[in-house]
Amino acid sequence: MVKLEDWLQKAKRLTLRALFCGLFVTALLNTQSPLAATAPSEEGGWFVNMGHFAASAHGTFSCEDCHGNMNQGKTMHPDSNAPTFLHADANRLYDYKRCKACHKPSYEQYLSGAHANALKKEQKEPSGKYDKLPENKKAPTCGSCHSAHYAKAHLSRVEMGRQTVSVCAACHPAQAATYLENYHGKAAVNLGDKNAAFCTDCHGAHRCVSLKDKEAALNACRRCHPEAKEGFAQVVIHPTTQDPSEMNNEKRSHVALIRVVTVLMAILAILIVGFFYGHSFVWILRELHERLRKHK
Amino acid sequence: MKTLEKQQTETLIRFSPLQRMLHLVVMIGFTGLAITGFSLKFSAQWWAHGFAWLVGGAGHLAYLHRFFAMVTYACVVVHILWLFYFKLALKGSITGPQSIFPRVQDIKDMFQHMGYFFGRRGIPTFNRFTYWEKFDYLALFLGMNTMGLTGLFLWFPEFFSTLLPGYFINLAQVLHLYEAIIAVALKFVVHIVTTHLRPEVFPVEKTIFTGRTTREKMMHEHPGELENMEGMTWENE
Repeated sequence: MVKLEDWLQKAKRLTLRALFCGLFVTALLNTQSPLAATAPSEEGGWFVNMGHFAASAHGTFSCEDCHGNMNQGKTMHPDSNAPTFLHADANRLYDYKRCKACHKPSYEQYLSGAHANALKKEQKEPSGKYDKLPENKKAPTCGSCHSAHYAKAHLSRVEMGRQTVSVCAACHPAQAATYLENYHGKAAVNLGDKNAAFCTDCHGAHRCVSLKDKEAALNACRRCHPEAKEGFAQVVIHPTTQDPSEMNNEKRSHVALIRVVTVLMAILAILIVGFFYGHSFVWILRELHERLRKHK
Repeated sequence: MKTLEKQQTETLIRFSPLQRMLHLVVMIGFTGLAITGFSLKFSAQWWAHGFAWLVGGAGHLAYLHRFFAMVTYACVVVHILWLFYFKLALKGSITGPQSIFPRVQDIKDMFQHMGYFFGRRGIPTFNRFTYWEKFDYLALFLGMNTMGLTGLFLWFPEFFSTLLPGYFINLAQVLHLYEAIIAVALKFVVHIVTTHLRPEVFPVEKTIFTGRTTREKMMHEHPGELENMEGMTWENE
């Protein structure tokens, strides 16, 4: 499945490029999405860059405000001589209940959402099963999406939204890619239109629901499209077959149909445009030939 | 031959003021549609950011795209009304050899012309419209209607998703995109190259803007039409 997807993506890109060769120089199509510039990369690990921390939203806090004194209650400072010291995942070890003290609504939304459900499921499994998975396959806690040490305050809606998309893309790359192919993503992320929807505008900021449920999807649509009726929720926003657990057969068939039509249109475009490019080219050669012969 | 006895440089009128004006408005509308549409489609590119900045954001690009669409489609409506007027009031022929209606002869002309490319045959005796001009016209005429329809799907998705399943909006988007690519590749490259840039006409063909052409050019490019014009008056043509 993944291979086919890659191939289709590649074929689509190549088709578009080939068609545009006569139109624009290839350089015109070679720049990157603004997303590439926004990804924060300092996350994870045990070390905190205090300079960047001071400039963040939490910059005025002391360490103890969030981390306590390490020895209160049942928790103990880990043994610094143990061979596993600092090998554990910092995100998993931190008790994010502490965020609740200041961010109660967000915390409660998170608890009622899909990410917390995934975490509960993960915790029920025998320990060790999920430990070996890469970070982007594990259920997320607060710290997986939010950088407690570096996240900046007072971002504009578009800056915030672009960061959101790049954060979600870490675990949901196919969804992010299809979103960026969709009008919402193009307007919001690429052109910075603050009226267009970012990930969280449809899926909810902390609940992060999949919108498999038709009614929930329609309600999400209606936030911006108040006229939307039942059929509107069938518009495919993420035409991808990756993450099959999230898909039903109906959507799968719609995605297949969209792909077939895309391929057929691409073939038609290549045939028509190719014929007339060749036609014009040979014609010019003939006329040049006649001209040069006349001058002899 | 009667035509040879006359002045070679005599000016002839090939296009009526209405035809010249429609061409000009469609040209502007089509260019506007292409720029605003592709700025939205290829919105990650720097030139798309440039156009978006120029008009003040994605919302204005979308607004302008619809504005240009209405201007361009208005030309289609005027043209269709003119066709009725031409047929009913002027008693003109919209399917005859001097019309833009495709005929079997066009296919023969195309093969003969391609034979000429390879030096095997002579240039066919073209009438008022050559086969590539007919294709240009028909592709645009049909294309504007289908683009208009798929465009309406994307303009009013709330309404159309009550008539048809939601994924038809996606299909409309795919058709709209690829048709746009075909149209732009044909109009901005093939149309400009064949009418302006090929060695015979380089650097510019002004007939569609001024309506005027010369007998010499007509004899070379549209001998069939010239023959026809000499036989009849312009009004009946």
